[in-house]
Amino acid sequence: MNTSVVVDVAFWLLAVFAVYTGWRVFRTDSMVRASFFLLLSFIAVGVIMLLLSAVYLGVAMFFMMGVEMMVMALFMVMFMMNPAGLNPMMMVHQHRLSIGAGIASFVILAAMALLAGFPQRPLPDDLEPVVALGNELLGDSMLIFESAGVVLLATMIGVVVLSSQRGRFGSAEHGSMPPGLEPGGDPAGMPDDDEEAGGHHHHGHHHCH
Amino acid sequence: MAASVMLEQLVWPLAMVFAALGGGVYLWAVLDGLAARSFGLPRAQSVWQRPLSRGAWLLIQQSNNTEAPDRWGWRLAPALYLALAAVGLALVPWSRDWVATDLATSLVLWGSVEALATVVIFLQGWSANSHFALMGAYRYVALGLSYILISMFVLIGVALPAESLAITRIVASQQDVWNVVRQPLGLPLFLLVGLALTFRGPFNLADSQDLAGGTSVEVSGPPRLVWELARSAMLVAFSGIAATVFLGGWLGPWLPGPLWVMLKMLAILAVQAWLGRWFAVITPSRCLSLMWLILLPLAFIDLIWAGVVALL
Repeated sequence: MNTSVVVDVAFWLLAVFAVYTGWRVFRTDSMVRASFFLLLSFIAVGVIMLLLSAVYLGVAMFFMMGVEMMVMALFMVMFMMNPAGLNPMMMVHQHRLSIGAGIASFVILAAMALLAGFPQRPLPDDLEPVVALGNELLGDSMLIFESAGVVLLATMIGVVVLSSQRGRFGSAEHGSMPPGLEPGGDPAGMPDDDEEAGGHHHHGHHHCH
Repeated sequence: MAASVMLEQLVWPLAMVFAALGGGVYLWAVLDGLAARSFGLPRAQSVWQRPLSRGAWLLIQQSNNTEAPDRWGWRLAPALYLALAAVGLALVPWSRDWVATDLATSLVLWGSVEALATVVIFLQGWSANSHFALMGAYRYVALGLSYILISMFVLIGVALPAESLAITRIVASQQDVWNVVRQPLGLPLFLLVGLALTFRGPFNLADSQDLAGGTSVEVSGPPRLVWELARSAMLVAFSGIAATVFLGGWLGPWLPGPLWVMLKMLAILAVQAWLGRWFAVITPSRCLSLMWLILLPLAFIDLIWAGVVALL
């Protein structure tokens, strides 16, 4: 079995699939579908990276893009007011500008692919891609990467802790009581069941005497 | 020579993957039935027969359709979920030589399977174009991130002593002492995450009764059969990874490696079945708090523990 032929065939199939799904992103009619087509395109690119022996970056593409596209689909459906993203909608806007930007970036990228001098360095036999990548990323910038990572994680957890208050007026287990109109006052907007009609009673204690 | 290499590296590992997809799923259904019986739930049929008759019934049942579903997602989601479970099982090393997918980053690939499962579960609920299914899908995505985070931290913990992201190297690093002993918080957390990721037992919030079946409320017939097979297969894959990274995988005296892996997987599935029946379903909001406020900090402690032990 000639592995290089298999790799070539796989590369071309994946490349065509990546371009096709990338094109579908703009031709489909739903935010959710567009996000998932983009995900398919990225997965194909990730497999191409695996073929290039970038085993960490290729696999990282799968989980990063999986979560990213999922979150993107979720938020876009929420903000687009399109019920569940299943109603047909136009996926492109500012047609002239985007056509111009598309042609310009295609020309630039194609010129780079054709004109740039790519290095011809066969992989060494004892290549440890994960170790090499780790040294490349974390060799001199360990402190920056690690502190940024910890700060991001702390932010994420902080946001969830702050927003995980369940009811509007506190934890659901404690019963939902609105706060008083003044500090320590009776819960606002509760029906009066005693006969002090009309009067604002400022007893400061519970209104069932 | 080439034929024997092919047999070792391709045929036997793949045979094990398919055996786990078929036999593992069936045995899981039997274990779940046994767990249900041990808690006194009445069963009309024997636990050995019930999974087969349910499968046969789903196979001949009409497959439902909804008004204007997303046709591709609607039909593909169960199959994609099953495919992800198969990818997970392909990462399990059955012995030193029988590994279907031996990547330098196979542990990260398992993390990707967990992340992509979120997409597929969302697709299953969303594509039906139906209220309860969509609510189940949104619910799973909202909770799924916390499951994945806990799983990642626990798995980074087992990669530390091996100094590698390859699952085979992680098994080899447990030659003297298994990770379940070295990192006592790891396996319990991973077991809970496994139930959550396959939405079973206490964490069955995506396909739950309060949503009339959640993401699969509209699915019937053969697609429903594939969906249920895929959910079980994902749990079997989960048990394979847990048996490998915490219980020493193929390591063990007397018996051949693949047999050890299977026995350990069955033990984990039995514990999962019992846990799933023992705990009641919790509400989504309390599940969110449990994950972020209790289990995630425990995962941090597990990781710090693993780091300190690795440094000493």
